[in-house]
Amino acid sequence: MLDTLLPILIFSALALAVIGAVRRIRLWRQGRPSPVPILQGLAAMPRRYLVDLHHVVARDKVMSNTHVATAGGFVAAAVLMILVHGLGLANPVLGGLLLAASALMFVGSLFVAKRRRNPPARLSKGPWMRLPKSLMAFSLSVFLITLPTVGVLPQGTGSVILALVLAAVLAWGLGEMFFGMTWGGPMKHAFAGALHLAFHRRPERFGEGNRSTGLKALDLDNPKAPLGVETPSDFTWNQLLGFDACVQCGRCEAACPAFAAGQPLNPKKLIQDMVVGMAGGSDAGYAGSPYPDKPVGEHAGSPHGPIVAREGTALVDAETLWSCTTCRACVEECPMMIEHVDAIVDMRRFLTLEHGNTPNKGAEVLDNLIATDNPGGFDPGSRMHWAADLNLPLMRDVGQVDVLLWLGDGVFDMRNQRTLRALVKVLRAADVDFAVLGNEERDSGDVARRLGDEATFQALAKRNIATLAQYRFQHIVTCDPHSFHVLGNEYGELGGVYEVRHHSTYIAELYEAGRLHFAPWKGGKVTYHDPCYLGRYNGEYDAPRNVLKALGIEVAEMARSGYRSRCCGGGGGAPITDIPGKQRIPDMRMNDVKETGAELVAVGCPQCTAMLEGVVDGPAEVRDIAELVADALMERPAASGSIRAPQPSVEEVTP
Amino acid sequence: MQPEAQVPYAQLEVAVLVSVGRHPLTGRARRADQDARGVELALSLDKARITLLHAGTLDEQSESALRGYLGMGLPQLTLVEQPPGADVVPALADMLDEARPQLVIAGERAEEGEGSGLLPYLLSERLGWPLVSGLAGVEKVENGVATLLQALPRGQRRRLQVRLPAIVTVDAAAATARQSAFGPARRGEVEVETAAVVWDEAQSEWSVAPARKRPKRLKIIKATSARERFKAAAAKAEGGSGQVLTDVTPEQGAEAIFKLLKEEGVLR
Repeated sequence: MLDTLLPILIFSALALAVIGAVRRIRLWRQGRPSPVPILQGLAAMPRRYLVDLHHVVARDKVMSNTHVATAGGFVAAAVLMILVHGLGLANPVLGGLLLAASALMFVGSLFVAKRRRNPPARLSKGPWMRLPKSLMAFSLSVFLITLPTVGVLPQGTGSVILALVLAAVLAWGLGEMFFGMTWGGPMKHAFAGALHLAFHRRPERFGEGNRSTGLKALDLDNPKAPLGVETPSDFTWNQLLGFDACVQCGRCEAACPAFAAGQPLNPKKLIQDMVVGMAGGSDAGYAGSPYPDKPVGEHAGSPHGPIVAREGTALVDAETLWSCTTCRACVEECPMMIEHVDAIVDMRRFLTLEHGNTPNKGAEVLDNLIATDNPGGFDPGSRMHWAADLNLPLMRDVGQVDVLLWLGDGVFDMRNQRTLRALVKVLRAADVDFAVLGNEERDSGDVARRLGDEATFQALAKRNIATLAQYRFQHIVTCDPHSFHVLGNEYGELGGVYEVRHHSTYIAELYEAGRLHFAPWKGGKVTYHDPCYLGRYNGEYDAPRNVLKALGIEVAEMARSGYRSRCCGGGGGAPITDIPGKQRIPDMRMNDVKETGAELVAVGCPQCTAMLEGVVDGPAEVRDIAELVADALMERPAASGSIRAPQPSVEEVTP
Repeated sequence: MQPEAQVPYAQLEVAVLVSVGRHPLTGRARRADQDARGVELALSLDKARITLLHAGTLDEQSESALRGYLGMGLPQLTLVEQPPGADVVPALADMLDEARPQLVIAGERAEEGEGSGLLPYLLSERLGWPLVSGLAGVEKVENGVATLLQALPRGQRRRLQVRLPAIVTVDAAAATARQSAFGPARRGEVEVETAAVVWDEAQSEWSVAPARKRPKRLKIIKATSARERFKAAAAKAEGGSGQVLTDVTPEQGAEAIFKLLKEEGVLR
């Protein structure tokens, strides 16, 4: 009897899955067009899945093995089951393999069940709680049904009732695994996730050591092109596909500094809200942690309705979008390679460029950037006042130079002026041929862009590119990771391609080349805070640590460091939009510092310096790497031979 | 309130005079701060139909500045074409006389050019409409009468009733202008209208120099305690010998002013 029932069950489940897939694809196609190489993407998908995705999943070893067993077992079991039971290829070899696959899947599902017994807060509950049972139902029923096929049990073992029970359990399993995959159950992540990997909006981010972190430019020349994202259907179709791929594992939630600070943002919920908007409806079905202090069920949206309402509520509140520090911790953690920051900035662009609704100091900062080329509204002619006594060579005078020192807007900040002076001292000690743009430099446009003002960003960027085009230099060195990121990763799209280095990278190079010599470190315990825009945005984790090592400092690492570094709270215009939470992000970061017992925290970013120094009664001193290096500078040790030019002998001439 | 009391009144016609501003540090063209506050005031009015009016030329600089007003969410701006060196008062007065708005809002003074702050007064004189300066807000408009809130020094407010049409000016006491957004600014239309040109004969004879900061009257502080020093620092410079005249005839008022000017040495 099972012989007739099984093919019917399997193929009707497959047919339903195909219908669901077509419906799902139509949901994604509501988005704006975005050309992708279809076949190339599909061909690259297995590698992206097995290498890039698993690289992220494997950060949690138990979960990674669980997933390999469950997913690998399922894919093998599903294919073999179609062959053996669907098409009737009752070959003992295939049957044996099917037994092995379903057994493997069953073992995996036991681990899934174990994790669901006391799930951490970051995991979504709801339908996800039944997933281990469904996995077991599928694997167990397939296993049992296959036993007679390989002859372990004689054909026709058991009664009709047993066969019917088995078929019912299998139907449940098939329902979750095949039907649910395309109709919106927890297994949707497998279908949407696979296609998302194939048609990812940033294919260049895949592959060993590759990253793609620059925001994509808006087309401002075409008056018809939309300015950011107003409705869910304003996202590109592959962005919508990406949102749909979310497995609700909540790793982003655990990494998000704004969520931890009690600001109304949870990256996971945001992505789920986009899925709700894409399909239309309310967020009442969401079963994970809500945005802090915002109960679930009060927001609803539709594919062509606004995401943020001018008045009242829609899908998401504006303050949710403005809470983000664009630190990319969520993107770094996401095993499905979803691009949260892109989506947030897309929606911010609409709020700023169409609504004119940048909160708090946002409007003032943008006006300043337009009128004075710096966010503080300082006189652009006073850019070099801090260096009045330093006699810095100007590009305008020298024209050609090895290193163009990009100063950034820190020139107006008295704290950062100390860092800059230290950096100049280091460069001079190493005899670097460098010059600065002086008053010709403008804000890089970083803050304007993160606040959604693409127009001001592009205006600043184009003028900076025009300025830089007049001069010849090998590379740009800057002590501001934000300028580093924008100049290095975002100007390229607008026609400015430069080789940019962070000062820590450059100092590390100078030291390795033997051009700098340091006195041994005499201070206390030191920890290092990775700036988001240096680490996660640009992958530079080693150079600052190498410099500290060269100084004789052994870094006492914080629990959250390297690619898991916690943001200082200063990125993405967050100090400007200043969305209230329960605590401040820099306070949390200083607590991280305190836990290491360090007396000093080394930083490499003017924003981080300002944010961490702003912590009242901070447990550690905040020093930039350039300052530490400048303090430790010493003349070439005598042992390495005196190369100092001999003193010119002075002869006294008497007439 | 009785329902029949809510007589549906016609839309309030408001004209806002806007100029090309100049950033104090960089001199870049921008929407003028006070004029933008005027637009903000107009936008805060219930059921108002707002016309933006600018007299001048359209070039790259002025267009970006004027679009700054459109970015506040207005679809259109009317530009009365006037070459540099023209007296814009007759052209604006003709426009307003023709359009007959009920309320004309302007900034106290321009950030560029003469910046004398006299334009609203000259318009008021020509059109015969009343003028209220230093407005903080419009409370309501009913039956052709506007209830206005005028800003006085040190946060004081005076409530005034004015029969429309009227001209009002705003200064820094009015609400800050909303953010200008790129999208509406780009989409907004600048409608150019030609008008007769009357040359400003006097201007060609003037020599123009950058403005200097006005000297401040010295305050001699003889404070012995911190509290007194603070009070002195927070207080506005006052003559101390002021005189408030109420219920006097215009002649008496004029005489008092004349006497004061003589005392101060302005008139000899």
